[in-house]
Formats: sequence, C-alpha cells, structure tokens
Amino acid sequence: MGLFILRRLGVMILTALCLTYIVFTLTNLYPNLEKLAKTQGNFRMSDEAVTSWLDKRGYLQSTPKKYGEWLGVLPSKQFIDDEGKGYGRCTALADDPTQAPRFCGVLQGYWGQSTVFKDAVSKIIGIRLGLTGWLMLTVMCVMVPGALIIGVLAGMREGSKLDRTLSTISITSTATPEYVSGVIFIAIFASSAVGLKWFKGTATSAMDDITFANFTLPVLTIALYGMGYIARMTRASMTEVMTAQYIRTARLKGVSFANIVLKHALRNALIAPFTVIMLQIPWLLNGVVIVETLFNYKGFGWTLVQAASNNDIELLLGVSVVSVIVVLTTQLISDIGYVYLNPRIRIS
Amino acid sequence: MTHQTFTGKPMHPAAKMFAEECKAGEMDRREFMTRATALGLTTAGAYGLLGMASPAQAADMAMDGGTLRMQCEVRAHKDPRTYDWTQMAAVTSGTLEYLVEYSSDGSFTPMLLSGWEVNDDASQYTLMVRQGITWNNGEDFTADDVARNIARWCDKGAEGNSMAGRMASLIDEASGQASEGAITVDGNNVILKLNSSDITIIPGMADYPAAIVHSSYDADGDISALVGTGPMKVETLEVGVKAVLTKTDHPWWGNANDAYAGGGNRLDRIEFIDYGTDPAAWVAAAEAEEVDCFWETVGDFVDVMDGLGWVKSEVATGATIVVRPNQLAEVDGKTPYADKRVRQAISMAVDNAVCLELGYASRGVPADNCHAGPVHPEYDASVGRLPYDPAKAMALLEEAGMADFEFEIFSIDDDWRKNTTDAVAAQMRDAGMKVKRTIIPGSTFWNDWTKYSFSSTNWNHRPLATQIWGLAYRSGEAWNEFGWANAEFDALLAEANAIADADARRKVAGKLQAIIVEEGVTVQPYWRSLYRHANEKVTGTDMHIAYLPQTYKWALKG
Repeated sequence: MGLFILRRLGVMILTALCLTYIVFTLTNLYPNLEKLAKTQGNFRMSDEAVTSWLDKRGYLQSTPKKYGEWLGVLPSKQFIDDEGKGYGRCTALADDPTQAPRFCGVLQGYWGQSTVFKDAVSKIIGIRLGLTGWLMLTVMCVMVPGALIIGVLAGMREGSKLDRTLSTISITSTATPEYVSGVIFIAIFASSAVGLKWFKGTATSAMDDITFANFTLPVLTIALYGMGYIARMTRASMTEVMTAQYIRTARLKGVSFANIVLKHALRNALIAPFTVIMLQIPWLLNGVVIVETLFNYKGFGWTLVQAASNNDIELLLGVSVVSVIVVLTTQLISDIGYVYLNPRIRIS
Repeated sequence: MTHQTFTGKPMHPAAKMFAEECKAGEMDRREFMTRATALGLTTAGAYGLLGMASPAQAADMAMDGGTLRMQCEVRAHKDPRTYDWTQMAAVTSGTLEYLVEYSSDGSFTPMLLSGWEVNDDASQYTLMVRQGITWNNGEDFTADDVARNIARWCDKGAEGNSMAGRMASLIDEASGQASEGAITVDGNNVILKLNSSDITIIPGMADYPAAIVHSSYDADGDISALVGTGPMKVETLEVGVKAVLTKTDHPWWGNANDAYAGGGNRLDRIEFIDYGTDPAAWVAAAEAEEVDCFWETVGDFVDVMDGLGWVKSEVATGATIVVRPNQLAEVDGKTPYADKRVRQAISMAVDNAVCLELGYASRGVPADNCHAGPVHPEYDASVGRLPYDPAKAMALLEEAGMADFEFEIFSIDDDWRKNTTDAVAAQMRDAGMKVKRTIIPGSTFWNDWTKYSFSSTNWNHRPLATQIWGLAYRSGEAWNEFGWANAEFDALLAEANAIADADARRKVAGKLQAIIVEEGVTVQPYWRSLYRHANEKVTGTDMHIAYLPQTYKWALKG
C-alpha cells in the first residue's frame, strides 16, 4: 500500500509538471506576451518598447529557462536600470533589488504575482479556493445524502412506480445544465417577476457571510445537476445487488424486506457510488465556473476565467497546479477507499 | 450679496454678451452656464445675469453616517493622470479631490481653488488656491501643490498620461514638459501663461483624471495609505470584487466652509461592489437588497428598474459611441481603411436613427458622425452628415475595388455597445457588404482598444466639442483610435481653441465638423441620455452628465 501511494504521488508530480509546462508554453507565446506588455505598460507602446519591456522583465528568455525560474531550479534573470530600479520575478521580494534572492520559484514557496489582481498568487488562490471550498462542502452535504436516498429507494424494487418516478426526476435534473436551472431558480425564487422572493438571486454577500437566503440557490443549482447522476449510479448498483443470489436466499429464509435492504444490500450497493462521488469533487471544482459567474460568487472558477482571459501567466499556473492536485488526490482517495470497501480486492 | 465672480472683480466682457445671446434664444442655458462659469463667474452670478435665481440644492433630507453600497466595476488603481475609467476615479474621489467641479447644468464650481480669472483672449489664467485646506497627513495644501500637479499633468513622457492632451497649451513640444515659466506661483495664486489662447483649460481640470495628488504620491504604493485632501480613505481594494471607502477623522474642508450649504461627505462608509458586466446580475443584486445604487443603468434595464420601484435619475448628455475603422490598421497585409471611399461607404450605409432604436432603445437623439452635438456650445447644426444612401455606398466600395472585402467589426460583450455595433453591421450587410462580427469579453477588450481595425468605443460627455477633438481626433494623440492624421484639421482646431467667443468659434467648428464628416472618420450614431437608479434610502446620487463621481454628495436619507 505504501508503495502504491508513493507511485501515485510520483504520477501526480509528473502530471503537474507536464500540465504546467504546457500552460507555460501557451501563455508564453509571443502574441500573448505582447498583449501582457501592452496591458501592463501602455496600450500604444511601439514594437521596440514592447521588446524592451519584455526583455527587462526576463520574458524573452527561452521557455525551458523561464520554466526553470518559475520552478525555482534555475536562477532568475535580473535587470537593474540606471535609477537602481530592479526588474525580474525575484525583485519584488526585497526592497533593494541587489539584495533580492537568486532563486525564487515554487520550490522556494514563491508563486509569483498576479498581473490582473496586483496581488500575490498564493494569497489570491488561498482566498478564492477557500470560498469555493465552502460552496463545494455545502453542495456535497446536500447532494450526496439526497442522491443516495433517491438511488436506493429507486433501486430496491426495479420497475416499480416509485422507481419510475424517481428515475424520471433524476434523469430530468441531470439533463438540465446549471445555466438553465440557475436562471429558472432565480426567476422563480428570487425575482419580482414571480414574486416569491424567498431567496437571493446573487451570492456576492455570501463571500462575507453565508446565510440561508443567499447560499441556497447556488448550492441547489449545482447539487441538483450532480444529484441525478449519482442517484442513477446508485440505482444501477442497488438493482444489481437486489438480484444477487444471497438476497434471494435471505428472502426465502423470511427476512423482512426492510432488513434485507438496510442490512444486506445497502453496504454492497454503495461501493460503486463511492467512486462516482469522489470523482465528482474535481468536476465540481471546474463545474462551479458557471454557477460562480451566474451568482457572482468570486471563487476559484471565477479566478480561473479572469486569469485565462487576461493571460495572467503566474496565476494561471497556480490554478493549474491546484487543479492537478485536487483531481489526483481525489482519485487516490477513491482508489484506496475502494480497496477498503471491497473485500474481494483487499484479500487478493 | 452674492458676488458675480469668484474674486469679486469685474466680470469678463464676453459673459455679458453670452447672456444676451442666451436671452435671445441663440444659446441654450446649459451652454451659457458652461461658458460663463469657465470665464470666472459664480453659478449664482451666471444665473443672475439671466435674471434668474440659482436653484437650491436638495440636500435637506440627508443625514450623517451610514453605509452606501454601489454596484460598480472595481478596477486596479493607477496614477490618476492615466485613468481611463471613471470608476477608477470614483474609488479615489473621497481622498484625491479636484481643483474644479463640472456640474450637470454645465457650470464650473471651484473646489480646491477658491476661484479663477481669465484675461480677455484666454491666454492667461490666475488660479486662487482655497485657504485652510490640509492634507490628511497634516501638511497645508498650498499653491505649490497646485503648481506641482499641473506640471505633472503636462509631462508628455509619462506613459498613458491623458492629462497632457488637456493641458496641450501649456506644453513645450520639444521637451514634452510644461513650457519654461508657464506655471508660476505668486503667493496663494498660481498663474498659468499659455502658449496660445485656450478655453478648455478649466474644463480640462474638472475631468476625472485631474485628481490632485500629494508630492509623496507613488502609483505602486499602498492605496490605503494614500495622501489626499479628502476625508475618506480607501480601506480595501480587491480588483474585480470590491472596494471599501471609510471615513477618517480628517475633517472635510467643505464642511468647515460656507461653500456647501448642507455640507457633504456624510457617509461613514462607501462600498463599491463588482457584479461583472451583465446588467441582469445587477438587477439580481438590487432584488437581493445587496446594493443601494447602480453606477449606471443601461438599455432595457431602465424599464426593469423603474418596474422595481427604484428612483430614476436621468441626464441628457454628449456621451456617445463611435463605430470606427482604424486607418492605420492592417488586415491581411493591406490597410483597407486608409481609402477614404471605403470609410465614406461605411457611414453612408448606416442610418443613425436605426442604430439609436436598436442599440439604445431610442433613449437619446441621433447624431451626425462628427462628434459634436447640440450640448456643445460651438456646434454648427447646418453641417449635417453624409446622406444615408446604401446604393451609393456600395457603388463607392466597388469603385475602391473593395466590394469583396470582408469587414470584421469588433465590440465588447455587453448590452448597448454590442447591439449598436450589431445594428451597424446589419445595415452594412443590407447595403450588400460582407461583414463579420467579433465579440470580445470586457476583461480583454480594453487591452488594445485603439488598435482594432474596426470597432466600437463608448465616449463620455465633455463640455466642449473642441475638447473631444483635441483628445481623440488630433493627429498623434494617445486616444486617437481612428489612426487619423489631418494637418488641416489640426490647424483649424488650434484656431478654434483660441476663440473665446462661441459664435466666432462656430464658424471654425463647422469647418472641423465638415472635415470629420467628409473624411468618413467614424460612424457616431447617437447621443445618449444617461440613467442611474437608486433605492429610496439614498439621496444625492444623481447621475452626472460626465460620470464624475462626486461621492461627497452621496448620503442616506434621515
């Protein structure tokens, strides 16, 4: 098991390296750098001014060299002009540019500076990830129990009226994308158009203070979409278990239906949904992009959109690394959890 | 007895002449107020010349304290003289104040100045610095501070400094700085000696990038430690999210002074909250009672907000949109818009009234493609536009050998700017041209706004047409998005800027309008009325004709 986890960690680091290198290469294409120079400097800079702006800040070195600087394995290029003002990634770390450290990459714990938000990347990602974390946690709390209950109820008697009703509901909810359900929810529950106004159609105030009124609609929008999917998976797993030999034996021995479902079927039926639930976490991380934009909740998804649309190189790299870690960690947990839940794999 | 001029000295001879014109109906009241106060008359004095009483300010219901939350884009702070968004000025306007204020009635009021005088040919200005004002670090605000700020504005070498365009008559072309001896301090006064007559200096000082900064100002410094003359401080500024202004114990000079009946800067806290560019999200915020006031209500949302019972404030302006080709832009290695016939064809294919109806729900008046209109004193209504004639437009395009050319028109992804650009594109297609539309998100559109080959840009209202021409149409200016250079135009503009009398100036302005129209520089389809909605709790947040923030007027009702 230890070796398995180590191997997985190795894969994680390798994937993070490959992905960040790809993102790095794309954001460092010359037209993107030119755009960056013009937004940061002056929109009417001449081509020579753009070149000198980029050169001063070390953007014109080869991509592997710059990537090495970002990682912190190669010394950062520094340029100090006649007035003693320093340029380069490390200069922001010291008041006097000549005193700035030579290495300042991710390995040294420095994630760089966001060009759009004028702040440290680590700080921005910390705040935004925290906000999205709350959203995801609430969504999981609503989605997982709801989906499991619906799935188990539907799957315990395949083909019954209850099964057909619940299946229809879960297929409908999973077939309705967030940008449709979100708008419908806002119109019905938050606007004067219908007049219910039970909840708020924006979650901006939830960034400071989460309340029932301002957080319900975004949570419901994401949860309903995921709920249908997990419920379908649970139902499939449940129906399969319910037709197994040992369940029939139990029924023949006269065990009550409630006992069969709760004591014998449920545990075995929940193995497959566990994997699906773990895989929902990375999906949530990116799936919240739409909901965060719709409800103006400025979390991780919103940051990703802003970073990508403004070619904010270092912020985008930070976001990529976090995404890789979240995706591969949840996969690791789901694999380990699967081993513990399923005795057949554990024993072999 | 109220003085007619700020200084109590005799009024400028031209002011009386303007009053006669206004009474005779040759000039409307807004134009009169603009010109008379720019010549050193007080607002009360100017109204007095017309035989009218100055309107009372409606601040009676305001109370002290409280928090006002405004829906507003929150942008990164940069050096005020390089501001390109009025929202940037809103965040700092409680701290960094202005020398002169422009009001929606067209008048100019001294703020950090106590008044000014102009000589007869508008080539020398004496600015009187208001006494008793201190910076929030305790230092006195002096004439040296004013002189230093004006010199800063004149620095053409500073990247993106748009104030240099407004202060052009003070600048020595060779050095790119203020001319030797142009700005001198004489006791409490600052004397400006211009290189040529210029009537736009005072209006230029009232514009939003003209915020007054302290000698220690550093654009990259901590914004919460910003030194200014105002009582507010920028507590936090999170780009794209939120900016919070809180009141400090630095008293506001306006409250210690009789200049502002009823006082100002009453709020303890102002929050600017960013809800993105989609107005539907703003409405959701209003319905959720998360904001008290919008920055601006646009398009169909004016009716939506009326329906919600919010209070509308409306002002007719010289704010507009230009849908223009860039004459220097290269498309596939050619410069298609360098050919005058192509540009003329574009403007002849477009009916401006249709753009107004489809793009802005008819909330404004059609314009004549020359970026001068009825709100500008020097506007010559007889010039007119190139006639709307789609058939002739297509013929011109064929003559230029460009009939098969595919036009690509860029616009920002929003409501009215996108729709207006779509209306232009649709009419060009109706005329038989090939048009492709490209929509760019708001976060990236402005990165390169002057460089698009063919795109739309919104322009704020400015008091005089010559100001806009000086900023955007003069050859080589930072905001000349048309890529247009015309020596005759530049010479005539310099001539117009030396004529204090608007009637005499109109003759030159007419020629300038004609050149812009004839060259087909741009499609400038209509003038917008501006709207802002606020809930019942707030007062003093009226929409401003030029989007000037004037946060000191905002308050909650008691």
